[in-house]
Amino acid sequence: MHDLTEEKARSAIAAILRYGSLISTLVMALGLILVFLRAPASFGPGGHLGSFRTLFPRVIRLDVAAVAELGILLLLVTPILRIIVAGVAFGLERDYKYVFISLGVLAVVLGSIRLAMF
Amino acid sequence: MGVELTWLQLCGLVVLGAVAGGVGSLTGIGGGLILTPVLTLLFGVPIHQAIGTSLCCVIATSSGAAASYVEHYLSDIRLGMTLELTTTLGAVTGSLVAARLSREALAMLFAAFLTYAGSTMARRSLQAEAVDPGGVEPYEVKRLPLGLCGSGAAGMLSGMLGVGGGVIKVPLMYLGMGVPFKVATATSNLMIGVTAAASAFIYYARGDVWPLITAPAAVGVYLGAALGARLLRRTPSRWLIVLFSFIMFYFAVIMIWKSFHGGFAR
Repeated sequence: MHDLTEEKARSAIAAILRYGSLISTLVMALGLILVFLRAPASFGPGGHLGSFRTLFPRVIRLDVAAVAELGILLLLVTPILRIIVAGVAFGLERDYKYVFISLGVLAVVLGSIRLAMF
Repeated sequence: MGVELTWLQLCGLVVLGAVAGGVGSLTGIGGGLILTPVLTLLFGVPIHQAIGTSLCCVIATSSGAAASYVEHYLSDIRLGMTLELTTTLGAVTGSLVAARLSREALAMLFAAFLTYAGSTMARRSLQAEAVDPGGVEPYEVKRLPLGLCGSGAAGMLSGMLGVGGGVIKVPLMYLGMGVPFKVATATSNLMIGVTAAASAFIYYARGDVWPLITAPAAVGVYLGAALGARLLRRTPSRWLIVLFSFIMFYFAVIMIWKSFHGGFAR
C-alpha cells in the first residue's frame, strides 16, 4: 500500500522527533538535578544568563543554568533536524518541488536564528 | 532582572508543566494556553518571558505526539511543509511584534485569544461527534492560497502569544482545505514544532527564555504528555474539555482585569 521509501522517511522523521525531545528532556532534567545538588535553599535569578557564545564554556564547567539551557537549545534544534531529514527524503523520492519547499522553510528558520544572534 | 526561585517553586513548575502537558494530550487544548496564564498569574513571571517558556514547552508537546502521528500515516508531511513556509514567516513577525508590545497589551491579546480558543473547544465538545470514522479517506487539498494565508496568521499568533495555534489551523485545513479532521489535527501538530522554533530562537536571544523556569516546565510537559497519551487512548471526555474551557475563560477575565489595574507593570 505505502511504498518503501516513504515508510523509511516516516520512521526517520518519527525517530528524530522522538529521540530529539527525549534527549533534550534528559539534559534539562540533568540540569535540574544539578540545581538540587548544588543550590542553597534559594538560588539566583531564573533569568537569562548568557548567550550562544558563552554557553559551551559554561556547560563544560557544569554551570547549572547552562546545562538546562543546553537542553532547551537541543529542544529548539529538533524541529530543524526534522526539516532537513524530510528534505533529504523528498530528494531520495525525486520529488524536487518539495525539496525546494523544505529548503525554503529551512531558510526562514535559519534566518530567524541569524536575526536572533545579531 | 529575574525571579528568585525556591526549590518548592521549581517543583511547582514541573507539576504545572505536567498538568499542562497531560491536559493537552487528553483534551487537545494546547499546553501553551494553560502555561502562560499560570506562569504570569501564579508564579509572577513577566508575560514576555512566560510566552518564551511556553514556546519551548509547545515544542516538547508537539514532538512527542507528532512522532506517532507521522508513523501512523496521519500527518500529511508535504502539506505540513508547504504551510510551514508561511507559519514560520508569521512566527518571526509575531515574535518581533510581541517585543514592541507592552505587558498590558500582550496580556489583553492573550486573553482575547484564550476566550476564542475556550469557546471553540466548548462548542466542539458539545457537538455530536460526527468526525472520526476510523480510517482516513483519500482526499485532495483544496484552496492552497487560503491555507497559506491562514497559516501565516496562525504562525503570527504562535510567535506573538507562545501558543501552538491548532485552534486556527485545524478548522482551516478541515473546513477550508478539504482535509479530513484526523489528518488536519495530526498535520497541525507536526507543524507546531517548526513554527515555534522559528520564533523561540528570537525569544531566547532576547533573554526571554529563562532556563530555570523553562527547563522544569518543559520536563513536566514531556512527562505529562507521555502519561496523558498512555492514560487515555479513546476520545477525551467532554466534561474535561468543558471544565478547561471554563478555566480558560476565568484566566482571560483575570488577565484583562489585571491589565486595567496595573497588575502587570511591576
